[in-house]
Amino acid sequence: MNQFTAGLFLLIFLALPPVANLLESIMVVHMHMQMPLLVIAGFLMAKLVQERFPVFFENWNSNGVPGILLFIIIMVYWMIPRTMDEALTVQSVAIFKYISLPFLAGIPLRDSWKKLGDKSKNALIISFTVMFFAMGLLYIMSPEQLCNNYLIIEQITLGWGFITMAACAVVYLIYSAVVDPSDYV
Amino acid sequence: MKKNWHTPFALALVLLFGLSLFYIGTDGFKAYTAETARVNSLIENQPQFPEVTFEDSKGRVYPVSEFDGKYVFITFMYTYCSTVCPILEMNMGQVYSQVPEEYIGEDIVFLSISFDPERDDPVTLAEYTGHFNADGDTWRMARINDQEELDSLLEEFGVVVIPYENGDFAHNSAFYLVDREGTLIDVMDYTEIGEAAERVNTILENDKGE
Repeated sequence: MNQFTAGLFLLIFLALPPVANLLESIMVVHMHMQMPLLVIAGFLMAKLVQERFPVFFENWNSNGVPGILLFIIIMVYWMIPRTMDEALTVQSVAIFKYISLPFLAGIPLRDSWKKLGDKSKNALIISFTVMFFAMGLLYIMSPEQLCNNYLIIEQITLGWGFITMAACAVVYLIYSAVVDPSDYV
Repeated sequence: MKKNWHTPFALALVLLFGLSLFYIGTDGFKAYTAETARVNSLIENQPQFPEVTFEDSKGRVYPVSEFDGKYVFITFMYTYCSTVCPILEMNMGQVYSQVPEEYIGEDIVFLSISFDPERDDPVTLAEYTGHFNADGDTWRMARINDQEELDSLLEEFGVVVIPYENGDFAHNSAFYLVDREGTLIDVMDYTEIGEAAERVNTILENDKGE
């Protein structure tokens, strides 16, 4: 099975109503599992798209910046508490989720990542780390229920999910700064 | 590498797209949570209080028209609630005490509506009025027995109630103000007591002046 089919299957599988309902019933799974999996689905499908339209990507995303910016915009958009709620209650927003995450985040991420220099990559990881810490604190400390469809306890769990992701990113950053893999060959 | 104009153009396009996306998604950078969006749209749309029948802590049964010609200051709660409702009702009591006595009962009635009609019978409600020194007349606590009527009210006023374990509910909280004609005219932050009281008093004063 090639990557495109795998990605397409993943997308269709995630969009199946019982699967979607299950994943969306738990806030932290909705944000930290379903949404990243949708991005991964797009990431897998990207290969075929890139092969089909090499000129398009070469022209319009020559340095990878527009693509990565589009990726950032889509990621940040889905971190707004309101979009999480509306993905459950407003159908057009729900459909937009299944389109934007694979096609406007997954595909551009794959195309842009290779084109970015090491510094840009690290800058991106650092910004997401800071953002995840901030979002984590927001969801943990907020005295209010940010999403009407989820309980406060789920909101706190989600906050810790963000902090955990950020902590992992910090470990990665320290590792990549301190350890030189060639020492261990 | 040859200069191309496509990439800067794509960058501008992406920026524009992002800006529009966030603008639309947050109602012009005004509502970042569904709750804010809900309150904004309620204030804008001013829904009418639907036809429901109340049963209050004194066992009286009456329709909404009982409150015709009076402002009604409303909260939604259930008496078994141990988290936000006591605070909500306590704050409501503080607003009540900040409204001049001349208006109380004459121009404005306070009403706490339970969305747990099964457990909140008149006896339970009566006990609950005692906790907050509500007199049961100018500040009433009532349940709506007909589930359909209750649901239509919750839907109309955008109250989201999620039942979870041990018979508890998660729900959003606010102060609702309905005018003399039964139209919802404001939804206020229940933690801003002074602000809410001021708003109510201003409305009542302007109303008297007319």
